[in-house]
Amino acid sequence: MSLRRPDGADRPADRSASDRLLDAARAGRPADDPLARLLAAAAAPARPGELAGEEAALAAFRAAPGPAPTRRPGRRRLTVGAFAWIGALAATATAGVAVAAVTLDRGEEPVPPPPPAPTEAPSPSPADSAVTPGGAGPGGAAPSAPGRPGTTSAGPGRPTDPGRSATAELSGLCRAYLEGPAGKREDLLDTPGYAPLLDAAGGAGNVEPFCHDLVPDVGPGPTPDAHPTRTTRPDAGTKDAGARNTDR
Amino acid sequence: MTDELGEAVVAAQAGDEDAFRFLYRRLQPGLLRYLTALVGADAEDVASETWLQISRDLPRFAGGEFRAWTVTIARNRAMDHLRRQRRRPALPVPVQALADLAGDADTAERAGETIGTEAALALIATLPPREAEAVLLRAVIGLDAETAGRVLGRRAGAVRTAAHRGLRRLAALMERHDPPPAAAPRVTAPRPRPGQGRSASGSAHVEPADG
Repeated sequence: MSLRRPDGADRPADRSASDRLLDAARAGRPADDPLARLLAAAAAPARPGELAGEEAALAAFRAAPGPAPTRRPGRRRLTVGAFAWIGALAATATAGVAVAAVTLDRGEEPVPPPPPAPTEAPSPSPADSAVTPGGAGPGGAAPSAPGRPGTTSAGPGRPTDPGRSATAELSGLCRAYLEGPAGKREDLLDTPGYAPLLDAAGGAGNVEPFCHDLVPDVGPGPTPDAHPTRTTRPDAGTKDAGARNTDR
Repeated sequence: MTDELGEAVVAAQAGDEDAFRFLYRRLQPGLLRYLTALVGADAEDVASETWLQISRDLPRFAGGEFRAWTVTIARNRAMDHLRRQRRRPALPVPVQALADLAGDADTAERAGETIGTEAALALIATLPPREAEAVLLRAVIGLDAETAGRVLGRRAGAVRTAAHRGLRRLAALMERHDPPPAAAPRVTAPRPRPGQGRSASGSAHVEPADG
C-alpha cells in the first residue's frame, strides 16, 4: 500500500465523473479509455470457472427450509387457481367449519410414524414429505417438507386438484410458522411465500389461531433454530449431510 | 434492481429451482470477484458459504435490493472468515488480504492495453481497502452509491469519495505503467507472492474485454 499520492492523475476530474465511469461499467456500456476499460474488464460477464459452485449452491437450495423446490412448469397456474379456493377456505374457517378442512387435510397427511423399514423410496418427493410424519418430529429444519404432501402424497390414486394442494400448502406454511422461532415469525409473514397464509387467515393477527385450527398437532418449536437430531430416514440423512459439507 | 432479478427472487422464494439457478449465474461472478478482493484465494470457499446462507435465508428476504442483500451476506461471511483465520479481531476491512493479493506489479504493466478481468481485479485490489470496496460494489456488484453505503455502513457521499479516490489512483497507476516499464520504478509490489491467489500467476490469459 505504498501508493499514497497518485501524482499526475487528473482524471476522473471529480466525483461526478467517477460516478459516470462506475455507472457505465455497472451498466456494461462500452469503454473508451483505459480506466473505463479496466472497470469494464472487472465487471465483465461470468467466466466459466466462476460458476463452478453452481450445483453445490443448488443442492443447498434444495436442502434449505422453505417451500419445497419444484420445477413443475404448471405450478404457477395451479397456485393462481388455488387462490380462489383459499378464499373459500378462509370463509369456511372463519365460519367455524374449519374442522372439516382439518379432517380433510389430516386425512392426507402421511399416516403416523412410518415403520422404520426404509425400503427404496420411489422418488425423492414422497420421502421428503415423510420426513416429518405427524409434525411431532424435527423442528425448524424442514418445516415445509410436509407442506406439499397433497401433491406428492403416497396416497393411492389421488388426483392433484387445486383444493387439496392448497390445503396442503396452507398446513405446510402453518407448520413452518408455528415451528418457527418465536421472535422470527412476524418476519416470516413478511415474505411473499406466506402471502397465501396471510390471505387465508385474513391478516397477520389471525394467523396463529388459524394455524392452530388447521394443524392442531403442531406446537411452537421448543428449541427454535437449534438443529434437531436428524430422523432415521437414510435418504434424508444423506441429503442433509451433503448440505452440511458445503457449510464449512 | 431489474425486474428480471426481482421476479426470479420471488420465484425462488416459492421454491423454483430454475429461478435460483438464474440468480446464482447472475450474481455469483460479482460476488466471487468482490470476495477475491476481500479474502484472496479463499474466495471460492467463502462464496460457497455465502450461497448456503442465501439458500437458507431466502424465505426471509423481505424485498429491497437483492444484490445488496446478497453482497452483505458475502461480506459478513468474509469478515467471519478473516476473523477465524487471523484469530484476532478483524479490521473493519482486511488490509492484509488486499496487500497479499496486490502481489505483483506486472499486472499494472499489463493493464495498459487489453486488460483481462483477473488483471483488472488484481489492480483494483491494490487500492486501499475502502476504495477497493467502493469501486467493486459500484462497478462490479452494480450498486448505486446509496445502496453501497448501506452495505458498508457508510454514507453515500463517503462511498462516492472513496470510489473517486480509487479511480484516480487506478488512473495514475496505469499511467505510470504505460510508458516503458524500464523507466518506471516499482511502486507497488510490497512483496511478490507467486503462490498467493490466482491473480499473480493466472493473468497470462488476457481476455479482450472491451465491447
